[in-house]
Amino acid sequence: MDHRARVYDSILELLPSEENPTPMVRVNRMNPAPEGFTLYAKLEWLNPFGSVKDRAAWALLRDLEESGKLGPGSGRGIVEPTSGNTGISLATLASLRGYPMLAVVPNRVPLEKKVLLKIAGAELEVVNDELCPSPGMGDGSINLAKTYAKAQSERWAMPNQYENEANVRAHLESTGPEIWRQTGGAITHVFLSLGTCGTATGLGRFLKAKKPGVKMVAVQPTEGHDVPGLRNVGQLEVSKLFDPSLIDEILEIDYELAYTRAVELCRTEGLLAGPSSGLIYEGARRVIERDREGVGVMIFPDDVFKYTSNLVKHLPALAQGVEPEG
Amino acid sequence: MADYAHPEVLVSTDWVKEHLDDPKVKLIEIDVDTQAYAAGHVPGAVGWNWQTQLQDAVRRDILSREELERLLGEAGVSPEDTVVLYGDNNNWFAAYGFWLLKLYGHPDVRLMDGGRVKWLNEDDKELTPEPPRVTPTSYESQGNSPELRAKLEDVRRVLVEHDQNLVDVRSPDEFTGKIIAPPGLPETAQRAGHIPGAKNVPWSTAVAPDGTFKSTAELERIYLQEAGVDPDRPTIAYCRIGERSSHTWFVLKYLLGLDQVRNYDGSWTEYGNLIGMPIER
Repeated sequence: MDHRARVYDSILELLPSEENPTPMVRVNRMNPAPEGFTLYAKLEWLNPFGSVKDRAAWALLRDLEESGKLGPGSGRGIVEPTSGNTGISLATLASLRGYPMLAVVPNRVPLEKKVLLKIAGAELEVVNDELCPSPGMGDGSINLAKTYAKAQSERWAMPNQYENEANVRAHLESTGPEIWRQTGGAITHVFLSLGTCGTATGLGRFLKAKKPGVKMVAVQPTEGHDVPGLRNVGQLEVSKLFDPSLIDEILEIDYELAYTRAVELCRTEGLLAGPSSGLIYEGARRVIERDREGVGVMIFPDDVFKYTSNLVKHLPALAQGVEPEG
Repeated sequence: MADYAHPEVLVSTDWVKEHLDDPKVKLIEIDVDTQAYAAGHVPGAVGWNWQTQLQDAVRRDILSREELERLLGEAGVSPEDTVVLYGDNNNWFAAYGFWLLKLYGHPDVRLMDGGRVKWLNEDDKELTPEPPRVTPTSYESQGNSPELRAKLEDVRRVLVEHDQNLVDVRSPDEFTGKIIAPPGLPETAQRAGHIPGAKNVPWSTAVAPDGTFKSTAELERIYLQEAGVDPDRPTIAYCRIGERSSHTWFVLKYLLGLDQVRNYDGSWTEYGNLIGMPIER
């Protein structure tokens, strides 16, 4: 593999590693304290299947293969509850490997992502799982996927990104070392969002072992949000990978800002960031205004292309002038 | 479960496992998510679809006595059987089924405490996609209990006489009129708010994080002390279309043992569409 020439024998060789990290790009005009604070966005959408979830999906798939649950002759496919990105990565990897994939998707997921899952080769099962909030175990898509894996275990294996340590390991082995090397150890702040918590737990473990003073800042949307892939603070218990001891701060930010900041990033920095990145940027901005000094890395999970319908819903002005007048 | 007023109406997942082969115990799953049953269910359980099977297909009403008799017959149930209901979302629709069965007089109905999610997450419990083998019966209802159902005229009377508790089990946003219905639901109303004098206790408040019902002491604190439900008066529970409120109806009548608890199945989609009714926000 020659990462300088960037010529590859298989798309799998593009999966990220310390030698082939996703790029970090400095934020300039939107940095509120440029004299003391260096702020980078780590562009996870430049992973081969378009999001940070490529890392977890690859680790989860290998975990199932190594345990013998998946593989030639197992006759099994993959079933997974997913708000989109994990599903897209998993479905593409499954197609590459020749496994069927059933994605259990909450209905609030934008149409673009559902269609992408199908393009990548997944079958969809769409669940209305926010009919009425119920305590604890009310997450319909997770429970339906678990039902398939339990009732039809001869047909389906479930990677379970919410519980499987392989999700954490992916970041311990790739994202962490990448950032350490890319910042030359100067990193002081990580800004990210919690969904499955795999990124936060893996990165937190790696970076805090290297440098205990690194601040892990989680930026979460307020309740009632529809920022795909994220959970508000009250929903975090769904993930067994959530380790609060690694998180120094959790900011709760009005979810509408996810959309306005994403568009600002596109128009000001040339970063075509999706809504979760917009939310993470807003959290970083607030912390930088307070801390003023440091080297921060924002984990930007994916780009804006999958979110045009979501953006129009929150920023109706985007839909004006897109039809001929009169 | 022993300290509930009527502990006999609840069974544990372990109890169900022990009775999987008991011919007098009939299991019925009713879910909000109508795909869940086909993906996998408790071995031997029959699945009912609340959208297509538990309401009148033409006019707005619960299903008729004859329709319930036919459903029970197709599920192989006899009047002397123990019917155990369970479902997703903490037995939300299972409780609705419980109310219907009681309304039409089935004597022994129970809920599986914790519902399908508790069963799903216990390692020693099996799930199967296989349809059960059922020997149909010809079921004849043994009577009925119309006093379990509140109708609009009952609610009107409470508005004049103020002699009953009204418990609104919808979310705080529906209760205060911020929204008319949770997003994406087709059944809605012209106006938002609640019936004057109603207390708001969202239905899911009665459930612990593992999906089982909270203890008697906690339920008494929530409904009687904090919400101010007067246990010496009759009570009417309502929600949007009358299913979430069957869950609270079950809690108030069987777990706390209040007298004269009724479910107003017309609920907000009836009340909030009427002209001239008083509404509080």
